[in-house]
Amino acid sequence: MDKNTGFMKALKCRECGREYPLEATHVCEFDFGPLEVVYDYDRIKHSLTRAVIKSRPQSMWRYRELLPVAGEPTVGCQVGYTPLVKADRLAKRLGIRELWVKNDTVNYPTLSFKDRVVSVALSRARELGFSTVACASTGNLANSVAANAAAAGLKAYVFIPSDLEQGKVVNSLVYGAHVIGIRGHYDEVNRLCAEIAGKYGWAFVNVNMRPYYAEGSKSMGFEILEQLGWTVPQHTVVCMASGSLLTKIHKSYQEFMKLGIVAESRYKVHGAQATGCSPISTAQKAGLDFFKPVKPNTIAKSLAIGTPADGFYALKVMKETGGAAEDVTDDEVREGIKLLAETEGIFAETAGGVTVGVAKKLIASGHIPQDASAVLCITGNGLKTLDAIAGHVGQTREIKPSLREFEALLDKENKLINA
Amino acid sequence: MKTVKNESSKGSPRPAHVLQKSRLWLMYPPRLITTPVVWQLGQKHKVITNVRQASVTDEIGIVCLELEGRRADIKAAIRWMTNLGISVEPVEINIIES
Repeated sequence: MDKNTGFMKALKCRECGREYPLEATHVCEFDFGPLEVVYDYDRIKHSLTRAVIKSRPQSMWRYRELLPVAGEPTVGCQVGYTPLVKADRLAKRLGIRELWVKNDTVNYPTLSFKDRVVSVALSRARELGFSTVACASTGNLANSVAANAAAAGLKAYVFIPSDLEQGKVVNSLVYGAHVIGIRGHYDEVNRLCAEIAGKYGWAFVNVNMRPYYAEGSKSMGFEILEQLGWTVPQHTVVCMASGSLLTKIHKSYQEFMKLGIVAESRYKVHGAQATGCSPISTAQKAGLDFFKPVKPNTIAKSLAIGTPADGFYALKVMKETGGAAEDVTDDEVREGIKLLAETEGIFAETAGGVTVGVAKKLIASGHIPQDASAVLCITGNGLKTLDAIAGHVGQTREIKPSLREFEALLDKENKLINA
Repeated sequence: MKTVKNESSKGSPRPAHVLQKSRLWLMYPPRLITTPVVWQLGQKHKVITNVRQASVTDEIGIVCLELEGRRADIKAAIRWMTNLGISVEPVEINIIES
């Protein structure tokens, strides 16, 4: 293994194929297409086997040859290897033979799949000599950058819209990150962040580190394949914000098949969005290979990206694999959250409600056959979006400290149930 | 004077007269698809326009554009396009993630 590049070969433009050195850069100078890491699969084939993977600690780094770091990871070494839960009770409710939930609500340390991408970006940033990291975020990404940077001793700048809820701000401030609130419309804030990222010599995780950062999502796919006993699920349902996660789940399946770690299989990757921000699912349902930007209006804030950067590539993956896309209303999102919680004891954030709601629709419409097996990718913890379901999950019944009152209440409730 | 960004200039205030580059994705609504927006932009604002990619269909026009000029002129050019109804995003598109 090359100590400067590991098993990576180059950065490559996804549009024109031009190659670039493995630096902190993200856009092709020729056509401004996004850059992606390419690997030396011939060498990886000799190093990465099922036995090697199984011999390593249970974290996302057990697949490190396929992650973009040159040496040993130095940030987020405990991230990943979250449970793949066999969801029999949910399967019964959704009317499908076999269902699995990939549960990143318990990912370490900040309870979302973002810890995967951030630990890769920060590990690579260190290798490239950065001491300051940054991101622009409204939630999970900010929390993850702040926490992982703190643990690694890196200085962190987090840019947020100034009107962000206090709870989300606290979740970044507590780690000692420099949190900068920017006043203005989303588009203005977005453009300023691009300018800041270009001007300062920092590792901006989702800008100049993006080719490395995005690769971290593949670990979720690798884990699914291993936890399913080295087989590829027939159907995978993934929520879409920028669309990046869906493309990387696909890439992970492709890479394990290419390396012979799992057998060649046919599979479908399906995309899930909220109706209030559904540029990709709308395009997919209309049979288009491009999306139209929208103004987001949904409780699923973590998916509220009206102009998804990887939307085009997500559409391509769904087309290639024969997958479908659907979207769900805010009420259906809440129902999805409750259904997952009540059947499997997993409390997901709104994006998880989107995934469950869309899976329900895809099964009902036959896009996912009832006799099939499917995996739902659940990306973040419900404790982060309590406001979205407060007032929609029933309420407590109060009694005096009296056994008689308690028994009267039970009797009343039993009568209601049996009525 | 034209300068090229490098490590040493990063983080320091840039003089007002210095030229800079901005890389953008423009998305046109259908009513503007046949309008020569990029030409008009060059006429109305002191910016150099350089198209790097474009895709035009009946429903949407997508142009990847590099603008070069003084910061104030670039900002005015972006404001002019957004007022026309064009969606103007940085080349990275959505930097603010959840």
